Amino acid sequence: MRGLWRILETVLAIAAIIAAWELYTRFYDVPDFLLPSPVSVWNALVEAAKGPLFGHLFYTVSILTLGYAVGVLLGGMSGLLLAKSARIERWLSGPILFLQTAPKIALAPLFVIWFGLGITSKLILIVSLVFFPVLIATLVGIRSVDRRLHDLAQVLHLSPWQRFRRIEFPAALPEMFIGLRVGAVQAVVGAILAEWMAGKQGLGYLMTFATATYKTPLLFAAVIVTALLGIVVYQIIELLERRLLSWRNQP
Amino acid sequence: MITIRGVHKEFSINGASVTALSPTDLDVSRGEFVSIIGPSGCGKSTLLRILAGLEKASGGAIAIEDGSSSRQRVGFVFQEPVLLPWLSALENVRFPLDTAGVSRAEADNRALQLLKLVGLSGFEAALPRALSGGMRQRVSIARALSYDPSLLLMDEPFGALDLITRDRLNDELLSIWAQTKKTILFVTHSVEEAAYLSDRVVVMTPRPGRIKSIYNVSLPRPRGESTKLDPAFHQLMAELRRDLI
Repeated sequence: MRGLWRILETVLAIAAIIAAWELYTRFYDVPDFLLPSPVSVWNALVEAAKGPLFGHLFYTVSILTLGYAVGVLLGGMSGLLLAKSARIERWLSGPILFLQTAPKIALAPLFVIWFGLGITSKLILIVSLVFFPVLIATLVGIRSVDRRLHDLAQVLHLSPWQRFRRIEFPAALPEMFIGLRVGAVQAVVGAILAEWMAGKQGLGYLMTFATATYKTPLLFAAVIVTALLGIVVYQIIELLERRLLSWRNQP
Repeated sequence: MITIRGVHKEFSINGASVTALSPTDLDVSRGEFVSIIGPSGCGKSTLLRILAGLEKASGGAIAIEDGSSSRQRVGFVFQEPVLLPWLSALENVRFPLDTAGVSRAEADNRALQLLKLVGLSGFEAALPRALSGGMRQRVSIARALSYDPSLLLMDEPFGALDLITRDRLNDELLSIWAQTKKTILFVTHSVEEAAYLSDRVVVMTPRPGRIKSIYNVSLPRPRGESTKLDPAFHQLMAELRRDLI
């Protein structure tokens, strides 16, 4: 009952915002190319859904998933390597800090020049955005594993693999999820930006196309779909987290 | 069972060498319950950790003659329970067996028996966070017993518990010891605990740690409430206290 009421509240709030927006555009007679009314955004969305919208969405989801997976894999493995070897960390912590704070989005045009207009430069941009948060979270996670758990592993003569699989990985997972969440948000931004820069596919491209042809309602529709995609991605990560870390919430 | 000859441990802090444990000799025979008592920093935990292979001795020799042919693992009970928070009580007890490749059915069976032995029947599915401090330490003891080591090393296992729980666990430990016939080396800083539990009490001096004296405890077994009224028990505690100063 209470949950139902909360959903109702959210729906009401969104409805109120849309109503205010609609009234504003009507009352002041705002032209569509400046601020389209919710109705014309809806119409543009319906029209796009009949046409190329799902193709673009599918493309974005594809490069997003692929880039995210590669970024998580590389970031996780690098984080583990750094956590395990103090020497490698001494060598690489400086460059990593530099690369992590460097605004990769500013380098995005360079990626296109370096790696071409194809999918490679897009994936590299996404991977570079996902890589660092996952790396740092994995490093911190593995490093902060309780010393006493290492003692336990030693007493039980666990092999390095068992130590990782049975103790370090599950113990580091809560920390790692922080990186996975940040990385997921970054991946969506990266995917849109990459499509914005080059190519003829994806939601990012749809936005540039809409802007260039003054189809502002279509632009709004693409923005809304992108935001919804971001929410879905975030929800998937959260669902995964609740599943894998259920032991933290159980009574 | 255990023969310790001239084992010592030094480590350096900022270049200065610090002695954690002076050369130590000690023999423990099979089935014996020996307590090591001393002030903090006397190296009693260091000695235990060296025996468990958690630290390397700077020198000396240790021989642990183990009757069992299974992988030579000693049982170790830490001061804190050190349970894996994502595993249930049963899975925690089973953990050493799972990692040693024991079959699921056999491991489950053994873990169930051990949880019963430590009085935790009905809590098999509980996660550590749902258990009290005393219950967690019981799980930890069951885990240490799961792979049936002939030697059990206990490093102030009840030090973090309240006195009532501690008294109860002391009695339970004695009954477990009587049933399983383990050799137990028990580090504590409680004079009462040492006197109540042990066959022998080893008293160590503060930094640099070395063995000061060894007491034979001739209080009759099984021990219980009557032991605590025995004048000989209080006599022993008084002697131990005097020795520790």
